[in-house]
Formats: sequence, C-alpha cells, structure tokens
Amino acid sequence: MTALRHLLRDPVAALGLALVLFAIVVALFAPWLAPYPEDAFESRLLQRLKPPSAEFPFGTDNLGRDILSRVILGTRSAVVVAVSVVLAAMLIGVPVGLWAGWREGWVSETLMRVTDVFLAVPQLILALALGQLMAPGLTTAMVALALTYWPFFARTVHAETRRLRGALFVDALAGIGASTPRILLLHVLPNAAPAILVRATIGMGFTILTAAILGFLGVGAAPPSPDWGLAVAEARQHLPEAWWFPTFPGLAILLLVLGFNLLGDGLRDVADPRLRRGR
Amino acid sequence: MLSVEGLSVRIGTGRGQARILDEVTLSVPRGGTLGVVGESGCGKSTLLRAILGILPRGTQVPAGAILFEGRDILADRAASARGRIGFIPQDPYLSLNPVFTAGAQILEAMRHHAPGTRRDHKAKLAELFRAVQLPDPEAALDKYPHEFSGGQRQRLLIAAALACDPALVVADEPTTALDVTTQREILALLRQLTAARGLSLLFVTHDFGVLAAVCERVAVLYAGRVAETGLTRAVLDDPRHPYTRMLLGCHPDRAVDLTGIPGTVPAATAQPAGCRFHPRCPLVQPGCAREVPPMLPLAEGHAVACPFHALPLPEPALA
Amino acid sequence: MPEILGAAGLTVELGARRRLFGTRPGVRAVDGVDLSVAAGETFGIVGESGCGKTTLARTLLGLQREASGEIRLGGLVVSGQDSATARRQRAAVQYVHQDPGAALDPWWQVGAALAEGLAIHGVTDRAEQRIRIAEMLVAVGLDPALANRYPHELSGGQQRRIGLARILLLRPKVVILDEPTAGLDLSVQAAVLRLLRELRDRFGLTYLFISHDLSVVRRVCDRVAVMYLGRVVEQGRAETLFAAPQHPYTRALLAAAPRLDGAAAGPSLPGDPPSLRAIPAGCRFHPRCAQADAGCARLEPALVETSPGHLTACHHARRAA
Repeated sequence: MTALRHLLRDPVAALGLALVLFAIVVALFAPWLAPYPEDAFESRLLQRLKPPSAEFPFGTDNLGRDILSRVILGTRSAVVVAVSVVLAAMLIGVPVGLWAGWREGWVSETLMRVTDVFLAVPQLILALALGQLMAPGLTTAMVALALTYWPFFARTVHAETRRLRGALFVDALAGIGASTPRILLLHVLPNAAPAILVRATIGMGFTILTAAILGFLGVGAAPPSPDWGLAVAEARQHLPEAWWFPTFPGLAILLLVLGFNLLGDGLRDVADPRLRRGR
Repeated sequence: MLSVEGLSVRIGTGRGQARILDEVTLSVPRGGTLGVVGESGCGKSTLLRAILGILPRGTQVPAGAILFEGRDILADRAASARGRIGFIPQDPYLSLNPVFTAGAQILEAMRHHAPGTRRDHKAKLAELFRAVQLPDPEAALDKYPHEFSGGQRQRLLIAAALACDPALVVADEPTTALDVTTQREILALLRQLTAARGLSLLFVTHDFGVLAAVCERVAVLYAGRVAETGLTRAVLDDPRHPYTRMLLGCHPDRAVDLTGIPGTVPAATAQPAGCRFHPRCPLVQPGCAREVPPMLPLAEGHAVACPFHALPLPEPALA
Repeated sequence: MPEILGAAGLTVELGARRRLFGTRPGVRAVDGVDLSVAAGETFGIVGESGCGKTTLARTLLGLQREASGEIRLGGLVVSGQDSATARRQRAAVQYVHQDPGAALDPWWQVGAALAEGLAIHGVTDRAEQRIRIAEMLVAVGLDPALANRYPHELSGGQQRRIGLARILLLRPKVVILDEPTAGLDLSVQAAVLRLLRELRDRFGLTYLFISHDLSVVRRVCDRVAVMYLGRVVEQGRAETLFAAPQHPYTRALLAAAPRLDGAAAGPSLPGDPPSLRAIPAGCRFHPRCAQADAGCARLEPALVETSPGHLTACHHARRAA
C-alpha cells in the first residue's frame, strides 16, 4: 500500500495508472458502454463516413459503423492481446531467466546467448516473419509477439537472479538447508517481482503498439473485428476527407500505450528505493 | 577554536518532531582533541553535520550557536569557513570517486578553497602524501582509488582533509572499517599530524579504546544531550554519570560480568521528560523525570549531568 | 570433552574457474588448517580481513567445498561430498551471519522466516511451529509479537537475536558465529554476549566464534586460533594466548587492539597483509616480521606444540616466548 501511495505522489505515474485503469474498465464493460454494440460486425452502408455528430460522436467509418463503438469494443481486444501476450512471454522468460541466472555453466550461457540473439533482432520484423510463416490472424500475431517478447523477461529476471544469488539472505537460506526450488520460487522470485512488474507494464504498452502495427500491416486481426490498427489501415483510402476515421482509433492506441509506459516508469521509480531498502 | 553553545537540532518527521540534539555545549581548544562518544542514536552524526554545515533539509536549529574562530558558522554560511575545517569520513571505500584519480579529486577541492596555482597545489599535495606516509607520494597523485589498500585510502582521505590548511579536523569514526593493525597506524598518524601541525581535532567514535588512544578530552552524548565531559583519562578511570558508568561496565576489558543496560535508547521523537536517561537509570529518583539535570562541575573541567553522581551504583547493575 | 567438530589439512580454493582453454587458478583462502573443537567449548578464530576465517567457517558448514583435507563432525568424516549432501549431513552445524539483517529476506515477516527453517527441517504443523517460535523468541529475549514485523523494522540487536533464534530452532549442536558483535553498540554487545552464554548453557551448544575484536574474544572464548593468510599461526587456551602470545603476529595483533587504559604496548605492525594471490614464500608473515631471518624466507614453519596445549607456527617461537 505504501507503494501505491508513492506511485500516486508522482503525477505522471498517477496519470498513467488512470489511463490504464480507464482502459481496463472500458474493456470489461465494452458491450454495455458502446452506443451501438452491434456495430462490431454489422454495417450500415447508408451512414458511410459521416463526420462526428451528436448521433455518432466519433463519426462513422467506410461501412457506416459507429467509430466510438468500435474504439470501445477494440479496447477489449487490445487489452486482451496485451495481457495474454505478456503473460505468455512471462511464462517462458521468467523460468529461463531464473534458471540461467542461478546456474553457471554452458546451459545457462547458451540460454542467455539465445536471448541475446532474440533481443538483437527488431521485434516487429521477427513478429512479421513469424506471422507470415503461420496463417495470418490475431492468434498468430499474439503467438508471434509472445515469442519475441520473452527474452526481455529472461534478461530482467536473469539480472535480478544474479544479484540475489549473492545476497546474504539467500546464502543464509542455503545455510539452513533450503532447497534450490524453494529459494528460487519463494525468495528470489518475490524479490525480483518489482522488476518483473515494471517490465510487464512497459511490455503491455509495447505489445499494444506492435499488435496495432501488425493489424495495420494485415498480419494481425482480420476484418470485421473492431481492431484499432486495422481501423487505421482501412482509413488510409479515405484520407484526407474522413479525418475522423483514423484519428480516434489512433488516439486510443496513443493514450493506452502512453498510459502503460508512464505507469511502467512510475513503477520503476517506486520499485527502486524498495530494493535499496532491502540492502 | 570551535565551541558549540547550547545547540539544539530538530527534524520534523512523519511521527512528530525529532529532538536530535538538545542544548549541547562543548568546545575544542586550539590544538586540542575532543572525542565525542556515544551509541547509535545519540546525535553524534547530526552534531558533526551541523559543524560541517551539511545539515539535511528540513532541519531546524531553534537554539544555539557554533562558533569557529570567533564566528558563528551556523548564521554566517561563508564558504571560507568550510575550507578551514577538514573532514575525515568514516568509510574509505565509499568516500572516493572510483573514476577519478586520487590527485584529481583532492586538487578539485583545493581549487575552490586553497590559494595558489595548480602547480603549487600539486607540490603541496605530494608533500602531504609524504606526511601521511603514503608509499611513493608523487606517483600516488595519478593513481585511482582502487589501487590503494583500505589503510592507504584512509591516509589519502586524511591528506585530503589537510589539503586546504584547516585549523580544525573533524573525523567521523575514521577507523571503523579498518583492521586493528591498520587502525593503530592510522590513529598514530592522526596523533602525530595534529601535534606537529597544531591542529584541533574533533573525533567522533563509539569505541572507548580508540578514544583513549587519540583524545585528551571527551564528551559523552546520550539521546542528544551531553551526559558527561572531561579529560579522557578522568572520565574513563572515574566515570560519574550512571550512563557512562554502565556503558564502560559493558566494555569486555572492564566488565565484571556482561550485563548490558536495561531498556533501549529512546526514539528521538519520544524523548523522556527530565533526564533523558532516567527510565534506564538504577539511581533514578522521582525528581529525575521532572527536571533536566544541569551540568555539575567537578575537578579539572570534569562535569556531569547528574546530581546523584556520587552515589554508588546498586550491585545488580554492576554485577 | 570429546571433539565435536574437527578438520585436518583442510584446504579451500576460491575463484578457480574452468575456462574454454585451460583453467584459471584460484586463491587458497584456507591452506592446510587443522582444528579440533571440543563439545561445549567456545572456540575463537581471530585474524584480520582476508585471513580466511569466514571461508573456513563456510567450508566447515558445507556451503563451500574443500579442495582437500578432512572434516570431522561428531567422530564421523563428513568431507568430500557435494554441497547439497554436505549441508544435509552437517545440519548439526549452523551459521549466524555477520549482518543478520541482510540475512533475512526483506519481503518475509520474521515469523515466516523462522517458520521456514522449521518447515525445511520437517516441522510442518502450523500450531507447533507457532509454539516453538514463540518459545524461542522468548529464549533469545524478544517479544513474541515481533514475529509480525519485517526485518528492516528491527534494531541491530533485535536482528541479531532473530538470527540466533532462526538457527537455534533447528536444534544445532555447533553454532558458527561470524563477527557476532560487529556493528553493535557497546551496551547491546554486552547483552548479546550474555545471551550467547546463556543459550550455550541452556541448549548445550558449542560455539565457533569468529571475530576481529580481541577484547570480546578474550572475554568469551575458551580456546583461540589466530589465522594469517589462510593458515593458523597460533592456537591455545585464551588466557595463555592473550597473556603470553608466542607468534610475532599474535603479539602485533594484541598490541594493536585499542585499550581502555590508552597504553600502547609492543611494536606496531607496518603495512597491509599481502594478497592471497601473492603469498610470500617460506613463512607467510616474514616480510612484516621484525624477527625474520634468512631461514624464515625459505622454510615455512609448521604448527607445532610449543608448550602444553599451545601450538605455534614460528621458527623463533620458543626464543620469543
């Protein structure tokens, strides 16, 4: 709770938290919040490309669908993609990092070299290549993103584990006969949690951005799903007249990515003094 | 040379006001050495910061003055006074920047506080390095901190403290991080340098043995107040304040039987009324909780803040 | 009293690493140490930083593997095992860290940390854990309510008591205390030393007391070994060793210890100990020794009995004594 108070004391981080919480609430209640929930799939060709009005606050798109509704419905898919990709990446990266950080020897060396190779290749290119190899679609994009993001977790956890392996309390645990799994899962992991949390938060913003780009490039979500990246891509043909068409989904991407990044930075600042306090 | 007069220091905290120092009065005569001794939480590091003019922000000084060479350095924050006070920090491993050479770091300070050109400074520093018995003093200027051992680093820091021709040197437990054989050498060096250069020395320590080796006079601090002050030999051989007596009774060289002192040092936010030591004192009288005991002068500048200093401690407290 | 913990020819190398091409040699932090600690005694190990006292302790404990030599516990040879087996076999030996605050996981409440040790050693019943923890906290002079605190909320003395409680719950026979009074105020130190003595009597413990504070060692130890650069240079009963040290290094160490009477006795010891990477030939101490002669630079002196129950590793020991 003290951590939360510290976080809220930083206005930038508080803004990030507000944006993220807002997005989560919107995602949870999207079907009830959207004025025209049926617009997820149905089109109204008579209302094509209407500018913002009282009826359609964000205007309508090329198929006459309410953009506000589609932005709201798209929030759900964006948050779901972000959370599941980051969780999957954590599931791979955290154990790899723990193992490689704890053990010395060629296995852990090899593991870390593999993560270095992954880190050296730009995520987007890798995700694009993977997306092309498999059948394009949202699931493919998510798998591709998870497969390209786990090395970040592996690196973070590796560094934390290395640091904690030399900590006196870990030595003391070995002294009273604690097993390695116990030390790693009950002691090293919780102590590394702040770093993992920071990495995960920043990773969510990053994933939303990359997923939008993949959608834009046609490797991600397929029409007619309400996807922000896809919407921006579809809007290209109707520029510059229908300015509202790409603007609102684009703003949604911007705000949520910004929110996650601000929150991540704020968490990093909160996590740091806590770690220092542990000496 | 330096006199601290009725100094009180308060720090506002989340749990109320912390009374770190309360009417502390002590003085270091020209060429004299004063040891300030006390346990953690007695306020010795705050006293040291106040003298060095580096009290943290949010600190209030409601009363008192620190006179150095006749000027109140609390009121008059002239930088010139700072150069006249040299500081030897506690940890030789943390007090040097690892990416600069030893010479560069000290010369930087000299540039601000010492007259003369860089060439003068360099020559003087090499001479100081010789005075602190660093091996190969000229070459030492261009060495990095990690190239020195712990004892050598402490010599380096002593040279740094002397670089701006101080009149007073303030040392903060300068040998705690060192081994005993190295400690002995550093203490001998300090004694020799202060005597040869006529320096005044304020030496903060928690170790009575070190105190006995370096300081002529001592002030024993307890919970932000001076409990007892006098010649080191007199205080160590015949302590009068119950706290000093019990504390010395904890020293393994002296203790008849190890007991410790019951209770703990009070938090600075919850200082007891009256005598600060009364909740732990075996000689406590009803009046102790009401009135702050004044410093009672005994022989030869020996003074004690306890009206019952002549009473013997009850047996269990000594046994 | 019979021996409870012993070592013969114990050698430990640190930092040796296998590289792609060949191996990088390590340093011998402990080099041929013989020890025999009797049940119930407090055995002191003194020496300056880098003399190998902590490495020796960790090796006896089984946290550090020995390069050669033998370790005996309760009459059985327990050396030559991999570290997990070694630690299991030597559960009767426990270790209290120099900085007991840092030896506790900052995210765990004290009570949970204490319960964990019990759980590892097979006491998993919550109620029983609680009872034993409360009893032990009282035994080390703490309020059982402290179990709900986090390590950083405790004072230095309290942390030290928690460190003791944590290992005493495991019912050890031998406790290795690494600088148990370092960083403590005098009054707290006295209380901790008194507690250590009470606990020793109450639980029938044997202490291996590692310290650089000679006043404390003189006060609490029955026998003392002095280490210099990985070797024991002198060993004997505390009162004889402190009253009549036979090795020049011991004399210098005793002379350097600050004394309350302010008297400086004996010669000072110039210079710093040489690095373990460059151990002098012959007697390790000869470059700093006032009595060294040509023989000392050639021949390393063995640790031999120079008077009954007193061992010294010095060619000039008898003459000096």
